[in-house]
Amino acid sequence: MIDKINQLSSLSLTRDLDGISSVSTDLTGATREKTPGEQTSMSFASVLGNMSVDAMNNLKKAEVASFEGIQGKANTREVVDAVLSAEQSLQTAIALRDKIVSAYLEVSKMQI
Amino acid sequence: MEPIQLFELASRQAEWLSIRQEVVATNIANANTPKYQGKDVSPFEAVMQSTGTTMGMAKTHAAHFGSSTLSDNIEVRNSKVNNEIGVQESGNTIALAEEMTKTGEIKRQYELNANLVKTFHRMMLMTVKR
Amino acid sequence: MDPLSAASKIAGSGLEVQSTRLRIVSENIANARSTGDTPGADPYRRKTVTFGTELDRASGVERVTVKKLGEDRGKYIEEYDPGSPAADANGIVKMPNVNILIEMADMREANRSYDANLQMIKQTRELVSATIDLLKASQ
Repeated sequence: MIDKINQLSSLSLTRDLDGISSVSTDLTGATREKTPGEQTSMSFASVLGNMSVDAMNNLKKAEVASFEGIQGKANTREVVDAVLSAEQSLQTAIALRDKIVSAYLEVSKMQI
Repeated sequence: MEPIQLFELASRQAEWLSIRQEVVATNIANANTPKYQGKDVSPFEAVMQSTGTTMGMAKTHAAHFGSSTLSDNIEVRNSKVNNEIGVQESGNTIALAEEMTKTGEIKRQYELNANLVKTFHRMMLMTVKR
Repeated sequence: MDPLSAASKIAGSGLEVQSTRLRIVSENIANARSTGDTPGADPYRRKTVTFGTELDRASGVERVTVKKLGEDRGKYIEEYDPGSPAADANGIVKMPNVNILIEMADMREANRSYDANLQMIKQTRELVSATIDLLKASQ
């Protein structure tokens, strides 16, 4: 979650979109290996897309885990972990959506 | 270490702790079973080493312990014989006091783990709130 | 099976075997002076209990069980008591091979083990509680 926010904030700091690729590798840190789904060059749209896909996936995982938890099949801690990470990514996605919507509204109010 | 990795690490430790709890429970239940050898799990640092920094779980050990499901990197093996009790006439090696000490340790570590996760989760949510 | 639930089951089986053990000890103590009825008859023979592990098929958990309820094949204690119905021609009565001191020590150990198993169950319950609390009031 935090690395995604970092990527977004770096977008505003550096105007050069190509510069994102080098910045994002620094931000994610040398110890963390790139997972197969991660792209090395980000645009605003792709970061947003990744974030919402993440949130959806986490929600689905949490739902599956909760089903299993209710049926008594799953490990308690695993259910809790899944639900916690779903809550985190959902909150992030919601906050982002709110900011984007309010930014859009502001822009639409601008006199041309 | 980023907070995201903290949650991963905490989950791994929670798993290790619950397996250890099961092992200690077995030791205590078998305190009077003839020829029963006390068991313990491999230390957490060793488990983390073999897991690697990528947090991917690679299969390295088959489960040795009954037929309960184990995380593949955690090894259960016979623990060192306690000096106070030694090997009793029945072949049993369990010292109840030692097992109860382990219990206390497990509880402390687990509660720390759970409270850390709770607090970090709360902080993460705070960072995205208005 | 979830390790924490397994721990509860295992400790539960420990409780069962220790209470069986306590039952046997109290039988021994209660019958410590039980002689036979007829002259030369055998008295109460001390009972023993042996534990073992057993795999519970349904949950895949190794529980403790009472493997054998046996008898102590030791020699009976002989006492001189001509007035007893079990006295033989020489007035010797065979008394049960129960040593009260040993039984008391056994009882104390069984109590201690019982308490330890109970502690395990309590603590496992607390650990599960702590896990579920993670979901509480995170806002």
